[in-house]
Amino acid sequence: MPMKSKSEELFDCCDAAPFDELLGSTGTVRPVYRRAVDYFQQLGVSGTEDLQQSADYSLLNQGVTFTVYSDARGTEKIFPFDLMPRILASREWQHIEAGVVQRMTALNLFLEDVYHDQKILRDGVVPTRQVLGSSLFCREMTGLNPPGGIHVHIGGIDLIRNQTGAFHVLEDNLRVPSGVSYVVENRWVMARALPELMANYRVRPVDHYPQMLFESLVSLTDNPKPTIAVLTPGIYNSAYFEHSFLADQMGVELVEGQDLLVDQDVLYMKSIMGLKRVDVLYLRLDTDFLDPLVFRPDSLLGVPGLMNAYRAGNVALANAPGNGVADDKALYAYTPEIIRYYLDEEPILPIIPTYLGSRPEDLRHILAHLAELVVKPTDASGGYGLLVGSHASSAELEQFRERLLARPEGYIAQPIQQLSTHPSFLEQEGAKGFFSRHIDLRPFAVCGADGTVKVLPGGLTRVALKRGSLVVNSSQGGGSKDTWVLRAGSREGDDA
Amino acid sequence: MLSRIARNTFELGQQIERTENIARLLEVNEKMTVQEDLSAELDPWTPLLAVTRSLDAYQQEYAEVTQARVINYLLWDDRHPYSVSFCLSRARLLARTIRERISEEMWLLLNSMYHDLHKLRHIREQHEFNWKIQQFCNAFHGLAANTMVHGHTWQFLQLGMVLERALMTCRILEMKYHILLPTAADVGTPIDLHQWQGLLRSVSGYEAYRRLYLARIDPANVVNLLLINARFPRSVHYCIQQAHQGLKGIGMYNEEQFRLFMGVEEFLEDLREGIDGREILAAGLMEFLQTMQERIEGLIGATHRAYFNSITVTIIDEQQRRLAIQIPQQ
Repeated sequence: MPMKSKSEELFDCCDAAPFDELLGSTGTVRPVYRRAVDYFQQLGVSGTEDLQQSADYSLLNQGVTFTVYSDARGTEKIFPFDLMPRILASREWQHIEAGVVQRMTALNLFLEDVYHDQKILRDGVVPTRQVLGSSLFCREMTGLNPPGGIHVHIGGIDLIRNQTGAFHVLEDNLRVPSGVSYVVENRWVMARALPELMANYRVRPVDHYPQMLFESLVSLTDNPKPTIAVLTPGIYNSAYFEHSFLADQMGVELVEGQDLLVDQDVLYMKSIMGLKRVDVLYLRLDTDFLDPLVFRPDSLLGVPGLMNAYRAGNVALANAPGNGVADDKALYAYTPEIIRYYLDEEPILPIIPTYLGSRPEDLRHILAHLAELVVKPTDASGGYGLLVGSHASSAELEQFRERLLARPEGYIAQPIQQLSTHPSFLEQEGAKGFFSRHIDLRPFAVCGADGTVKVLPGGLTRVALKRGSLVVNSSQGGGSKDTWVLRAGSREGDDA
Repeated sequence: MLSRIARNTFELGQQIERTENIARLLEVNEKMTVQEDLSAELDPWTPLLAVTRSLDAYQQEYAEVTQARVINYLLWDDRHPYSVSFCLSRARLLARTIRERISEEMWLLLNSMYHDLHKLRHIREQHEFNWKIQQFCNAFHGLAANTMVHGHTWQFLQLGMVLERALMTCRILEMKYHILLPTAADVGTPIDLHQWQGLLRSVSGYEAYRRLYLARIDPANVVNLLLINARFPRSVHYCIQQAHQGLKGIGMYNEEQFRLFMGVEEFLEDLREGIDGREILAAGLMEFLQTMQERIEGLIGATHRAYFNSITVTIIDEQQRRLAIQIPQQ
């Protein structure tokens, strides 16, 4: 092991993965991180702790919180925030950006196709059963023409870096991706807490996201002065803060189902002056709850008649209902083929080898190698119900084996990935310091009616705060850190 | 403005005002019973439960009325809609639903008060606690006045606040009725005057009283100040005047809303007509306060019907004309 220089002593790297974001293979600090390391070295542990406390306090006071479902009282917690930024050189980012644009474009074409001519199914590229048999296929969307044929207006693509250091797609979020408000808020907190460090880097801004979103929503209607609203399930939803944040930042109305009503296939909101017509609705509600006349009849969160108004072309919905069929964890295995089919290009961002429970030979492999795999239910998100084979007890493995056999098509499995690590400022064994933790990255992209995809330079870097844990979801004890994308031509930007 | 947002804003105004008035009511009690020799004979705590409409609920849980229990009940019992803790949690919940409508400063103040509330539990000095609560509520109103656009949201916040205040001022006056002196002979004695003075102090009205009516405390004038005076910001008259202004600012878009406005106008006329504290006391203060509270509660109910609960539906008649009709929701 090479000698550590003085500045590296601040960082406890004993849990570092084969690929660490900060330390190169020789154990030295990567050039993009040089200034940050020097800065924290100067601050020391106690100086960083003071800044961390004031950052946490400001997040709590601002109400930047999420609600934990398992807690009956609906306790709000702050999304734990880690002061140590993740830094991406502009070259690294360009690669991610191109990959995200490619993916969003291909998946939009896929959705428009499966809800119309279904050429891709007829050409046998994706099995018909996989699409039409999916519980996420929305029959009500067939033949429906959303503006510009665009279905995914807001997407979040989860990326990880594995032992090779290459970015891989972990999953697509094409329904109601959340977390972008933390991206913006984290940056505001960082700008307050570490202004000198930020000034040392040329970081690309992220706080124009609400404008990006607004432009994309406006493009969905012909009305030159459109009424736009954000539909939230209400304050008890875990992402309510984000719904309110986005509505506020866009200057549009935040509505609940009870505020809306459809009359003569036109969507209105109930105001103190009577009814006001709504042109574009940004949905932060699962398709299932959207319209009790069409989907779940017991839903009190949706709007009766909304799908009729949509079908009549009187209101635009973003994202379009029915996108789940394209971000299904089983469909994921086919995404490289989908990209080749529609764009005639090689995927820029690779996926992780995926075994489908629905394929007999894959199932045999899964059952034989359960302890080396991550098994995920295809229809759940937020890290609920998944099994990390290497971390499971033999009883848990046995239990999962039974579930798999009972409903194999409901699961996929992937080799356990050595997620890259990054130093995080936190407490471990009673001492504060910088310790290695696994991270991922969720960049956000928006797409207007003209099909142009724009990616926000940055994204949500989620941190698995538990030592050794690979699960980064906020509902499972994850935190986040600010993600700095450097401008091209930054002093340290291109030599990472 | 969405009806739901209007309703939540209105209730936010009510909850903040209610929080303040619970603190003020506790203050009345403290001030009225501060003289040791008398407090032995008086039970000021049962009346306090009566005016906060909590007596029945309290008695279902506790057999005995004790100072510590009542204070705990009115401050910390989350299940009870007239506790500081309930009102503040509710206020914060409502503020979350309209966060984008109120100013950042208002949210920060309310949110940090909510998080700090339980730290205040250790304050032994009741007076200091009451003072902190009142300061918070007034800081909130101050921020509302100075940092919010004075548009519809602000108007509904004010409307909720002044209607609740009018109601609570009546209740504070009721306290004097409930805390009866041991004998009729005590009326007009230093003890009696001391109680009226305590009551004035609790509504921040002592200075105002002295400016208007000089040093001699006359119950009729106290009633005048709290009910009839149009310039004292906690008087019923002032509050109804503000409600009148508020409704004008919000505007009227349907018949129900117009009827509400007429109701407020009528109330205002009655208050202007020059009834006097002496007449009120002679005819029975308690009855008068009852009538006033019923009227104010009537206005609150009408506000709900006119602005928050009704929906407009369009129908098309046989000549293909679109008609808008107003349907009150259940």
